[in-house]
Amino acid sequence: MSALSASDALHARVRAFARSGGASEAFADLALAIARFQAEHVPGFARLVALDGSTLDTVASIPAVPTDAFRLTRVAAHPPELDTVRFETSGTTASERGVHVMRTTETYAELALLGGEAALLAGRSRTIVALAPEPAEPPTSSLGFMMRLFMERFDGRALSGGSFEPAERGRWLASTAGIDVDGLRRAARIAADRGEPLLLLATSFALSALLDALAGDTIPLPEGSVVMQTGGFKGRTREIPKAELRSAVARAFAVPEAAVVAEYGMTELSSQLYEGTVPGVRRAGPPDVLLEPPWLSVVPVDPETLAPVPDGEVGLARCVDLGNVDSAIAILTRDRVRRRHGGIELLGRAPGAPPRGCSLALEALLEARP
Amino acid sequence: MSPAARARLERLLEAARGIRDPETPLGREARARLSVSTGLSAAGIELAISKCLETHPTEAELERLAASVESAPRAHVLLSANVFTAAHRAIALALAASEQVFVRPSRREPEMARLLLRGAPGLFTLVDPLEPEPGDALFAYGSDVTLNELRAALAPGVRLHGHGSGFGILAADAQAVADRARREELAQAIALDVALFDQRGCLSPRGLLLEGNAELAHALLDALARSFAELEARVPVGALAPEERAEQRRQRAALAFAGTALAAGSGFVAIVPEARALASLPVGRCFGLVCTENATEAARALAPAITTYGVAGSPELRARFANALPHARASAPGRLQCPPLDGPADPRPKASRSAA
Repeated sequence: MSALSASDALHARVRAFARSGGASEAFADLALAIARFQAEHVPGFARLVALDGSTLDTVASIPAVPTDAFRLTRVAAHPPELDTVRFETSGTTASERGVHVMRTTETYAELALLGGEAALLAGRSRTIVALAPEPAEPPTSSLGFMMRLFMERFDGRALSGGSFEPAERGRWLASTAGIDVDGLRRAARIAADRGEPLLLLATSFALSALLDALAGDTIPLPEGSVVMQTGGFKGRTREIPKAELRSAVARAFAVPEAAVVAEYGMTELSSQLYEGTVPGVRRAGPPDVLLEPPWLSVVPVDPETLAPVPDGEVGLARCVDLGNVDSAIAILTRDRVRRRHGGIELLGRAPGAPPRGCSLALEALLEARP
Repeated sequence: MSPAARARLERLLEAARGIRDPETPLGREARARLSVSTGLSAAGIELAISKCLETHPTEAELERLAASVESAPRAHVLLSANVFTAAHRAIALALAASEQVFVRPSRREPEMARLLLRGAPGLFTLVDPLEPEPGDALFAYGSDVTLNELRAALAPGVRLHGHGSGFGILAADAQAVADRARREELAQAIALDVALFDQRGCLSPRGLLLEGNAELAHALLDALARSFAELEARVPVGALAPEERAEQRRQRAALAFAGTALAAGSGFVAIVPEARALASLPVGRCFGLVCTENATEAARALAPAITTYGVAGSPELRARFANALPHARASAPGRLQCPPLDGPADPRPKASRSAA
């Protein structure tokens, strides 16, 4: 079987696995099949397997690729001419940015939609806008790509009526000019007129900038509205504690704190984790606990030995993401996490790690204002 | 240099000579105390004392050292912990500037300053905290963050001579590594530069920029791996913090993924895709090799952080480096950590110093 055929077959298995909620086959079987495919077609991964002396016979034996590798080299099982997207990590210079290339976004999109639906939607149609700049074309931000996907598939209508237009004015509410507060008020009115909730997709830094712009004012959102908050402040000049930001955002939008939902994703992954606090969603859990979808496993590991730490202890997040068929099935992040209540508690980045994160792009953008 | 300043420097040098000599009571005490405070292995301390503690400078070097400072009513020294022998140079600069010298040792490594004072009683005063006044000179060594905090907290009129983060770099052309004997010799010299202070110093080299092909790079990498391992057998690496060991493991895996990373004693040597990646290599015994068509262009990307460089190759390559890095010290490979006692070890102008 050629590399492309093998990749296509694995993508199909992953999508079937996700659609079945993890029932179509064992997670370990699929993870190991992807790992063996990558050992055959990704030379860097083959070197890691050799370095670790791994026989790729258990999920724990799959060598995790440090996220740094995405900054140093191409991480892909396919040649560059087959890239359809190049998602870039944040970083102040091109050489500090990692790149996650994809041959197909079909699996990424399906996993994002299934994950987002399970954590953010409770079966109602909703108006969706983003406190984020409009993504480039082709997109270079996985977050922007996902936001646009949610708008198209979970909303699918123009704000002004008619057919969906991803670049419609009023859909993307952050730019070099700052936060479009009037645009957000207008979106809230449109949702209210439609008699449905608003889903606001935002980075933590954008929410912080919005709170500054509101200066204590509020934008009450329709009942059932949800704010998806992603990214931290990660070494930036201004940082608001997580609980304080959640509380302030809930007040500003007149929604319960449970409706302010954290999302955790990273460019090097194809899957996302969410808090399960939105009433009525399929994937439910307590605040501050990020829940994995069935196709993603996060294990806190000892930073030095890379062995799993005992339950409840802090380790680096080692992510086995079935969505990463053509890149790296296992990723070693710099994020400190611990297992709690069936999910993961995110405790920030390991000391000494360079500041990175989704919010940085927006802060850089706002700082660039004349 | 005034006779009084020369006499102060001589007393300091005499103390350093006492520390250097393992047969003197001070030398014995130094070895015992430094093995606890520095975290370096006993052989690592011996190597640093024998190679980096400058005890016999020439008169011309001392004149240059004195000329590098302005006289001040009082001089203060804030020491960092990473390179214990640096206390000697830092105090020498202060003594050249003033007859009243106040030294605040690092909390992690307070012994070297104490030992020098024991060898030259009354030559300076150990204090905590420093209290510089307007007109005083302050020689401070530490991270860029520490220096920035210090700068903000100083009284107006205090003259700060800050020495922050940085690292060394090496360069070679194909001629210098094509011959096996020369390649082995270069690898041994680099191993020595890397082993000193376990790469924690601001002169410690992080990598080599090679104007040569991949075949030569791999041959040099093999030689480096052998030389590192051989030297580590004689000079074991000191204590590394858990996060330092974790970073070594992480970066070795990332670099193995990106190309080639070989075990080199307890550390590693690796082909690094671009020069900028050298700046984030971990401490210990970890070294990167960058294959490049133009080593000086590659070095320019790191220039603000480069404190010193060593070139193995043609006079033309040396000349290009001198032109590209005018503020960095030039030393021979194997001597990067042993600058003469002729001024600050890190000669970069203040504006160039940056985090690395």
